[in-house]
Amino acid sequence: MAQGPTQRLRVRTSLLLAFILIIGFGAVLCRLSYLQLFMGEELQQKAIAQQLTDTKVNAKRGTIYDANGEVLAQSASVWQVVMAPVNFDNDEERTIVSKGLAEILDLDQQSIFEKTKKKSYYVVVKRQIDSEQRKKIIEFTEKIDKENDIEGVISLLDDYKRFYPHNELASNILGFTGSDDQGLAGIEYQYDDYLTGKAGRIVSAQTANGTDMPFQYQDNIDSQDGNSLKLTIDARIQGICEKYMAQGIIDNDVKNKGVCIAMNPKTGAIYAMVTANGFNLNEPFTLPKEKQAEIDKLPKEQQDKAFNEAVSAMWRNKAISDIYYPGSVFKMVTASMALEEGTKNLNSTFYCSGSTTVYGIPISCHQRSGHGAENFKQAIWNSCNPAFIDIGQSVGAEKFWEYYQAFGFSEKTGIDLPGEADDMFFNEDGSMGPVDLAVASFGQNFGITPIQMITAMCTVANGGNLVQPYIVQQIVDSNGNVVKNTEPKIKRQVISDWVSETMCDILEDNAISGCAKNGYVAGYRIAGKTGTTEKIVQKGKYIASFGGFAPADDAQIAMLILFDTPEGDSYYGSQVSAPVFANIMSEVLPYLDMETQYTEEELAKIDITADSFFGMTAEQAKSKAEQAGLNAVIKGDGEKVIAQIPQTGSKIPTGGTIVFYTDSESESDTVEVPDLVGYGPDEVNEIALSYDLNVSVTGSFTADGCISDSQSIEAGTAVKPGTVITVSFITTGTND
Amino acid sequence: METVNPLIFKADINRIFDEKVAMANAATGRSRPVQKQTAKTSRTRPVKKRKLFSKGMGLDLGFLILVLVLLTIGTVMMFSASYPVALYEIGDSYYYLKRQMIFILIGVGIMLGVSYIDYHKLHKFCSIIMGISYISLVVVLLIPSKTNVHRWIGFGDVFTIQASEIAKFAVIVFLAHWGSKYFNKMQTFKYGVLPGCIVFGTTAILLFLEPHYSCIVIVALLTIVMLYLSGIKLKWLVGAFIALAIVAVIAASTGMLTYAMSRMDGWGQALSYTEENKWDTYQTRNSLYAIGSGGLWGLGLGQSRQKYLFLPEPQNDFIFAIVCEELGLIGAVIILLIFALLVWRGITLSLRATDTFGKLLGMGLTSQIGLQVIMNIFVITDWLPNTGISLPFFSYGGSSLIMILAQMGIILSISRTANIEKA
Repeated sequence: MAQGPTQRLRVRTSLLLAFILIIGFGAVLCRLSYLQLFMGEELQQKAIAQQLTDTKVNAKRGTIYDANGEVLAQSASVWQVVMAPVNFDNDEERTIVSKGLAEILDLDQQSIFEKTKKKSYYVVVKRQIDSEQRKKIIEFTEKIDKENDIEGVISLLDDYKRFYPHNELASNILGFTGSDDQGLAGIEYQYDDYLTGKAGRIVSAQTANGTDMPFQYQDNIDSQDGNSLKLTIDARIQGICEKYMAQGIIDNDVKNKGVCIAMNPKTGAIYAMVTANGFNLNEPFTLPKEKQAEIDKLPKEQQDKAFNEAVSAMWRNKAISDIYYPGSVFKMVTASMALEEGTKNLNSTFYCSGSTTVYGIPISCHQRSGHGAENFKQAIWNSCNPAFIDIGQSVGAEKFWEYYQAFGFSEKTGIDLPGEADDMFFNEDGSMGPVDLAVASFGQNFGITPIQMITAMCTVANGGNLVQPYIVQQIVDSNGNVVKNTEPKIKRQVISDWVSETMCDILEDNAISGCAKNGYVAGYRIAGKTGTTEKIVQKGKYIASFGGFAPADDAQIAMLILFDTPEGDSYYGSQVSAPVFANIMSEVLPYLDMETQYTEEELAKIDITADSFFGMTAEQAKSKAEQAGLNAVIKGDGEKVIAQIPQTGSKIPTGGTIVFYTDSESESDTVEVPDLVGYGPDEVNEIALSYDLNVSVTGSFTADGCISDSQSIEAGTAVKPGTVITVSFITTGTND
Repeated sequence: METVNPLIFKADINRIFDEKVAMANAATGRSRPVQKQTAKTSRTRPVKKRKLFSKGMGLDLGFLILVLVLLTIGTVMMFSASYPVALYEIGDSYYYLKRQMIFILIGVGIMLGVSYIDYHKLHKFCSIIMGISYISLVVVLLIPSKTNVHRWIGFGDVFTIQASEIAKFAVIVFLAHWGSKYFNKMQTFKYGVLPGCIVFGTTAILLFLEPHYSCIVIVALLTIVMLYLSGIKLKWLVGAFIALAIVAVIAASTGMLTYAMSRMDGWGQALSYTEENKWDTYQTRNSLYAIGSGGLWGLGLGQSRQKYLFLPEPQNDFIFAIVCEELGLIGAVIILLIFALLVWRGITLSLRATDTFGKLLGMGLTSQIGLQVIMNIFVITDWLPNTGISLPFFSYGGSSLIMILAQMGIILSISRTANIEKA
């Protein structure tokens, strides 16, 4: 028989049971109920707060395209290196990681090491690393995971970097972005709101390691990529302009940059806007070497200031931010006023003795000998200052001011670019003294911006309408929907149609036989006006300009070129700027498919395309070439043509020489290129013919008195007979 | 005659035992072995022959089912809680489950095996068990450790055992042994209080050196429970509480509790943290977040979010936080109810044991489960400092699980013996 427990043990057991079950489990139950029922919501909120990660998703900045869809600025994918230092276990791991990252990212190891000590899940190590560095980081991360068992420390986040595929193209108008992807200058700044887009957010349930939990727990607010811009700028035209402007700066030893604006005179759409020389948009804080060297020589404390000044000068869009005296280019405006007001007409006559006196102040003409008697047209062709003083006086100060305002000089043009400058007239209220009026008539002593000048010129060219220049044609969202399309805006009609037509006629003739001869391009009806002005503050420094448009009867493109402080052989607009204008136009007009209208004289000099004479007998080839208006020269003793120069498809001037080779020995014959500079067109042709060479001419060669200025192949070079040498001509003796 | 037992618990012990039994059998001609223990000889034995192992259907099925139910729920929850950690940190979601399953197979095998062993043998091996306990507590201090915490004895990399697990068991066995042996003298200081104080004191000092404070607390509570059941005067218990309080005050004021204090930083303030102690209370705070997130009904099995690396080591001591998050208050209460039933069942069946040793042993082992559950939940709910008390049948870990299942085996053995002897 089992002996029962003592009463004491029974009682104590019961008490123990009661203690454990009632007091112990009871307390546990109370605690859990309190936490889960009363505190539940609060604790859950806190739990969710740490489980949900709110990640900012950077929006991709919009692309900037030119008029033809060529990319000018684009955001490319780059990456951010981010660390989660809480996941480090010891200093050894910190050292390995900081060393590795410093090496790959080219950073200071110590500073990374400091970052690894933070008890944080998110520390940015470096932004905007490229795919090559990204690859290395990934390899490094895998390596330390495998070899050192360090994980969850380094991660890469998507980011964007602005990239300008054309480097320097349109640098002063495109502008660039800062480290936070914000526009800092130019279009990037002006249209920042459109380009930026809206950053998105991803709210998702994540593990403490930052990876997604396998839950339907995600809420995305999509990032909205920035809108793209389609510019009126044509990268081809911009490129052509920049090429010749850069050459012009070298040729004329220009000290303070040059400006070139090309626009559609009817709509105000800007085709090209150049501040030469520009800068590399991908490295906007890198100065040219010489400038940097200059700054490096300065005392330390001045370097920062000098650097800041230098870069802001480099970024400056001179076409809209600087004012200058427009000089004789302005005469087309003065002339238009007088015709419109009827104070002068085409039959008005003037006399120029070389100078005139206004209220006791002598004002001389650029041609000191004087232009003698001249009519209205001739006054423009000669760019005669005394005649224009007369024209200005006939209009009167009051009307002059009215027209000055009407042509848009007193207001900003409203072009969609930042930093447009105000004009600087004699007096704020528009009043001017008689001497002021006299000099203002030929564009002196008041300051306007180049963009104002070309807009006024467009008014003269397009039938009298003042247009608003613009540079962004379309804003397109990331789905391709047009957000905004710029309609051309005509502000007002300033002069009558007939005045415009008359002025176009006069200016066209001016380009053919007047002072603007050097701006002429064969086959195209160019109208233009030169200008040379002394600079506003600095005496003895000049600005050489040229404004023109084509075709004269139905202007499709207007262009203004100016060089600030040319210190080469000449500082006249006709010598410095006009040839650049002609060079640019000779490429741009064919590109724009402008119809050519050659004069007979020009036709005779037009280039023809060489056919293939290959395989013909020497005789056949010769007769066929002569039919086509070429001189044929046969080299070698073979029967059939085995080679020809110029080759099939290349250009030969009419009356040029084609050389046929009939055996391989003769193919190696060469001739030495003669010096072709400093001759008239006919002389150049004769010399070339005698050497069995061809000459293709550019520049202002139609007018009398032009001489060759440069040749494409240097004298003394050995070339094959029949080679085409391009010779550029220039008209001398125009001084404005 | 050679006896080969397929369910070997302690091979060596059994072999020695077997040989002695065999010799005795040979000598007495299959009569029952000579019993030297006073406790046993003093009692009337049933008519049935005493066998080497107690057999038959006497095993307490209810208790066994409760154990298996808890083990099943515990394993499911351990898997749910551990798989993100296993996946992200080890790369194999089943890493902890696979190991735990092996431990369970071994543990259940041992439990059933032990249930067949006559628990009275523990009387005899009490001093050996105490010896093993002290040796392992000393050895563990000699094993170099990276973290300055000496708790585990490793057998290779495969299996490690916590010395304190043995210590808890040893203290219970010793006090059951002593209490039953001198059951009538427990009112005296010499027999009642002093041995308990010596055993607890020495064990506590060794645990203090590890250090493993939470285990000291459990050992202290177990000592009190055992002495109380053995029948010591209540004034000694009051005295013990006062002494414990004084020791705690002295330890705290002399800065000896550095480690425990560092774990206690921010204790009870897990939710109102500052930048400095943010990481000290990180685990407890996330445990509270998990418990709170569960609400009444829970997020659903497997739907815990806090286990995604927010709550460190969710498969260990803090597993019940994930249980609360996934199964809600309802689920937690049901599990606690099963634990309570287990404690109830364990204590009542122990009470039915035919000898005082069985009663004390069974109640001590059962109390250990109850106390560990209560203290574990106190820890995860920020009522006790976070010092490492696992939840029986739930927390991942081979040694504690096997140890607990072996102890359950002893309780089953007690139930079996009681039933046989009653029959």
